[in-house]
Amino acid sequence: MALLLLFLCTVARAASPDELMRRAGDAMAAGDLDAAVELYMQVPAPDKNGDEGQFVNARMQAARLHFALKRFERAIEAVDSLLEVYPDNIEAKSYRGAVVDAMMPEWKKLLRDTVHFVPALLKGSLMTLLLVFFTMLVSPIGGLLIALGRISGIAAASRLCWFIIWIFRGTPLLLQLFFIYYGLPAIGITLKPIPSALIGLGLNYSAYLAEIIRSGIQSIDKGQMEAAQAMGMSYRQAMRRVIIPQTYRVILPPVTNEFIALIKDTALVSTIAMVELMRTADQLFNASFNVTVLALAACVYLMFTTVFTFAFERLERRVGAYEER
Amino acid sequence: MQPLIELENVVKAFGEHRAVDNVSLSINKGEKVVIIGPSGSGKSTLLRTINCLEPMDSGAMRFAGKPAGYVKRDGKLVPDKPKNICALRTRIGMVFQQFNLFPHMSVARNVMEGPVTVLGESKPRARETAMDMLGKVGMEGFADRYPASLSGGQKQRVAIARALAMKPEMILFDEPTSALDPELVGEVFDTIKQLAVEGMTMVIVTHNMGFAREIADTVIFMENGSFLAKGTPADFFDRQCDDPRVQSFIDKIF
Ligand SMILES: Nc1ncnc2c1ncn2[C@@H]1O[C@H](COP(=O)(O)OP(=O)(O)O)[C@@H](O)[C@H]1O
Ligand SMILES: [Mg+2]
Repeated sequence: MALLLLFLCTVARAASPDELMRRAGDAMAAGDLDAAVELYMQVPAPDKNGDEGQFVNARMQAARLHFALKRFERAIEAVDSLLEVYPDNIEAKSYRGAVVDAMMPEWKKLLRDTVHFVPALLKGSLMTLLLVFFTMLVSPIGGLLIALGRISGIAAASRLCWFIIWIFRGTPLLLQLFFIYYGLPAIGITLKPIPSALIGLGLNYSAYLAEIIRSGIQSIDKGQMEAAQAMGMSYRQAMRRVIIPQTYRVILPPVTNEFIALIKDTALVSTIAMVELMRTADQLFNASFNVTVLALAACVYLMFTTVFTFAFERLERRVGAYEER
Repeated sequence: MQPLIELENVVKAFGEHRAVDNVSLSINKGEKVVIIGPSGSGKSTLLRTINCLEPMDSGAMRFAGKPAGYVKRDGKLVPDKPKNICALRTRIGMVFQQFNLFPHMSVARNVMEGPVTVLGESKPRARETAMDMLGKVGMEGFADRYPASLSGGQKQRVAIARALAMKPEMILFDEPTSALDPELVGEVFDTIKQLAVEGMTMVIVTHNMGFAREIADTVIFMENGSFLAKGTPADFFDRQCDDPRVQSFIDKIF
């Protein structure tokens, strides 16, 4: 057996590159991959007039066979032997990267992807946060005005506010954004993506909060308004000083819900050319087809919603404290 | 002497039902009027028309000699401008059966609220007034507590202090002790009695005949929106009443 091997080697050494390639091909066809690898590795680096393609082919083939047999180190050796001769060979370099990749443990790969993608995602999430904070600032004011209009007893105001709620609560936010960004230009109003998004989110969330605030106001005991008015307060003073402050603890839980939904709803503005967290994740994913991007984006959203949930829970406890004191 | 407040043929209806039906009443400064009568007879509604919480349908009201609360427009009676109604209300305090303290404010803030928001007083001054008024009702030690932590009687005393802080010329009490546990009724009555001694003009709706007899200058028995009988406590309680309905009501209560 040993003799036979020795014999084979001597014969092989003597063989020409073409001969080696042919025999390697035969070994492959016969299913003897080990032998094929040996033969491919014996194909020498070409001299000046030699066939460069054949050499590259042979070593790459050897590397692929090693890889297929899960012998990653030896695959690297094969590629390195090629890179030694042709350090700039692109195919070899990218293949080496792939092998190194395959050798990496899963957690290391995850770590590398995270480090790679997270900065871009965080940058995109700045826009998401801007949208969220803006809407959180504007929609309670808009919602309060709409709610006060609804219960004002002034027929025109009440109907207008009902109409606003009807429209913005009754149609998809996505459609509203499309209307503002793509539809308004038809009547001569062209808005950039950011104002479009802010207006869309602001109106939509005002409409939602309006109903929460209205029900909050109406949940306050009638005696409160009477007591305030009986001491000489005007309707406005009674609302501002007595009624509205008492609604906070009633409306805070549903408002928290809305704001959590808002964080996720901002993803919709990625459809009107806004680059925020969702859009960034989408772009990175399309460039890499790496699902980790999507998981990371989910984590960022989750982080935001978690922080908000806890912050609002604390606020809730503070606002309702007078009931226990 | 000129009456502090005069009601003339006051009518207030809810739909077809006349809750207050053609009532006339005149109250002098310092007079204590107690209104008794079965539930649903229109006592609360009458008090509420006095400070315009419930607009009357027809009739007239004069406060300190001047028409108040309502104006005639195109021959119809309509509530006066909000500004004037607010001004009238600062002169007429009201104490409710359910106290209606502001739960989100401390006791002191409850009492300060009117002077600060309505009368525009500075906070330090309003606080001083508030502490005075809380002292009057024996609640100065609770200034920084919140209403939720008080007993019913304490709440009602704070509500009285809150009304007093506006320096009103009269106070309307709508069943001030009906929501209280029996053992807490006394402290509230004592507070009201003390105001009576100081000469406050008051209209008190109550079911407590003992208290009515003790404090009233005038007792009115109301039923189905009208005054069925009116007289001194002695008229009512010390001899048999002419009207069998009034007598049977009083008998039932005692
Ligand atoms: N806001 C209202 N709407 C309709 N009916 C009312 C209203 N307030 C009181 N009433 C009716 O008016 C009548 C008198 O009520 P109220 O003045 O509260 O009586 P009392 O205080 O003597 O118990 C009752 O029949 C009551 O049902
Ligand atoms: Mg009543």
